[in-house]
Amino acid sequence: MAVTDSYFGQTLEQTDVSSIPAEPSEDLIYHHRVRHFESARALWSHRDIIYTLAERDFRAQYKQASLGIMWALLSPLLTLLIMMVVFSRVKTFGTEGLPYALFVFVGILSWSFFSGALSNGGQSLLSNKALMAKTQFPRECFPLETMCVNALNTVLSWVPLAILFVIFGRAPAITTLWVPVFILIEIIFAAGICMAVASIIIQMRDLMQVLPIITSLGLFATPVIWPLSNIPSNYHLGGGVYVHRAVVNGHVIPGHWVGGIIINLQMVYGFFNPLGPVIDGARRTMLLGHSPQWNLVGVAALGALTYLTFGYRIFKRLEVNFADIA
Amino acid sequence: MPTLPDGSIQLEHVWKKFRADKTVPKFYDQMTRFRRSIGSGNRYDYRWVLKDITLEVEPGKSLALIGINGSGKTTLLKIISQITYQSAGRCDVAGRIGALLSVTAGIHMELTGKENIFLYGAVMGMGRQSIRTKYDEIVEFAGLADAVDRQVKFYSLGMQMRLGFSIAAFLEPDVLLVDEVLAVGDANFQQKCLKRIGEIVKAGTTLLYVSHDLASVEATCETAVWLADAVAVASGPTREVVSLYRKAVEQNAALTTSTEGLVEILKVEIEASDGGQLRSECDLVVRLRLNSPEAIQANIFLGVSQGSAFPMFIVRHDGSFPAGDCEVVCTMRHVPLSKGRYSLWPAMSAHAGGKGKPLLPWRPAMSFDVMGPDFIKLPEGVMVMSNVYVGSDWEIN
Repeated sequence: MAVTDSYFGQTLEQTDVSSIPAEPSEDLIYHHRVRHFESARALWSHRDIIYTLAERDFRAQYKQASLGIMWALLSPLLTLLIMMVVFSRVKTFGTEGLPYALFVFVGILSWSFFSGALSNGGQSLLSNKALMAKTQFPRECFPLETMCVNALNTVLSWVPLAILFVIFGRAPAITTLWVPVFILIEIIFAAGICMAVASIIIQMRDLMQVLPIITSLGLFATPVIWPLSNIPSNYHLGGGVYVHRAVVNGHVIPGHWVGGIIINLQMVYGFFNPLGPVIDGARRTMLLGHSPQWNLVGVAALGALTYLTFGYRIFKRLEVNFADIA
Repeated sequence: MPTLPDGSIQLEHVWKKFRADKTVPKFYDQMTRFRRSIGSGNRYDYRWVLKDITLEVEPGKSLALIGINGSGKTTLLKIISQITYQSAGRCDVAGRIGALLSVTAGIHMELTGKENIFLYGAVMGMGRQSIRTKYDEIVEFAGLADAVDRQVKFYSLGMQMRLGFSIAAFLEPDVLLVDEVLAVGDANFQQKCLKRIGEIVKAGTTLLYVSHDLASVEATCETAVWLADAVAVASGPTREVVSLYRKAVEQNAALTTSTEGLVEILKVEIEASDGGQLRSECDLVVRLRLNSPEAIQANIFLGVSQGSAFPMFIVRHDGSFPAGDCEVVCTMRHVPLSKGRYSLWPAMSAHAGGKGKPLLPWRPAMSFDVMGPDFIKLPEGVMVMSNVYVGSDWEIN
């Protein structure tokens, strides 16, 4: 449109359509620049929306159910009941002397938070597309909001956990005070994965089909029903000399490797799946009364932060197109 | 970059493209696209939905966007509200934006009206505290006092719309974007909304208004931009832009006039009964030359409209028409038209009802200018619907 000296709109201006080029010139092309500091501030100033959307989903979940919000308590209790029946009959892994139901329930608590956040959060952009296409606020609100709902549901699952403690006549150890550290790591990890998955699903709906398979696979790849100690902490990768049998001071030492590369597989695993150290740490502190294994916790925190960084970057990179292709 | 005062909008050479793939992006297509991207650098086919839009709104001013469906109005609003991003150009908006692009978007069907007021308010950028203080006003404005504790899925569409608009009406943003959302409300509520919009603008909010209802556009906005085929073809004072737009719509409609019906229009003439100029309150004589393949008994209608397919008034005659050519002369008495350009829409329908091919479909046949006094200046926020009754005399030769 011809820009004239007159104030816009005061006089009638008509545009000659043929004067408009077929393509915008190169220097006009819009590049979506993400300013992380400003995005974080915008997110903070819109935190009300996260709570409100979470409240919406939490309320809507139980609308028109005659037991209403009671279900939030009832369903984990029913899950617990089923578990108790099942685990009283099946062969179990070594649990360092812990009751298996208690051992597993701690794992299930944190796993169900993660898998719930993944499946709901992953689809949060899709399921809110009507809202997303018509309103403007930071898009991160959607995955974070579903995480809040999941967190609330998980907190309600602490009631059956308390019941289990009573049933087995135990009390949480004083080291339970470390648990918030694990919760924080898990939230960071889940947020990272959630944002990545949510933004990719918008473009590639294939992921939506694969997601349930990944989550059910993840249940077994994560120490939920087995202890983390099943992964060797000193794995011999190669090199060194194998000593077949040695007798030292009259003691017989069985065959073992001397030298070579020995790696702590638990730490490698913990980096890629921070849930491993999280679940293990929760069991250690809450049930056994040990203090956390800090090397594992550190690795898990590092892994979780890496996931969050990448997840957030992917989300911000793809954000430009959300409203157009959702 | 100079900082703009709150409430101003500045768009410079804004372009927006949409993907125009013929297929959904299946794996095979992704591969094709990938191959093409190596070849020419173009990743996919696209079309421009906005081309080189430059516009500017100062704080507290109001701008209307008009244009036919698909001309890019809503996309432009979405770019201004930063729901989506432009492909090229610059878009600066200062201040808090309240975008009312769809009244039902933020509304969750399972929740009650009250819960929705808090939800929608928050989504639109209102703090919880300020919603609480305005809650009673919102409910009162929406007229939903009895229904707020009911789930919204049991509301009618009109009630949902009232709920959505009422929340937005009390947002008090610096920039308010309204996109064709009043269409569902009843006349009474529409009037109330227009009045409220006027109040908001008067309080200093910048308004961007999109509507097909030209009467309400003229009532609410000072300036207007007409978008056609992704291009802003005209901008300026609302009255002038709207009249340009009306002319174009009529021309378009006249172009599509075809021989769809059984009866063919050969010629249309309009003149004043005294042979002079067409003036307000004169008797209008319309001469139609029709060709019908067979003798028919039918209703013939003549409507007069201004810029839309909905007539301001319509006259009807029940008559029998001979086979072959015939001339219909209709005199409309004391036609209450003010100065301006109008369209004449003839139509014919058989008594049997809407079965088969219509005798003569509802299409504009010609447009005509009426001289006379300008239309009265309307009170603020009022629009005219032009429900006019005109007596008529008929004869068929």
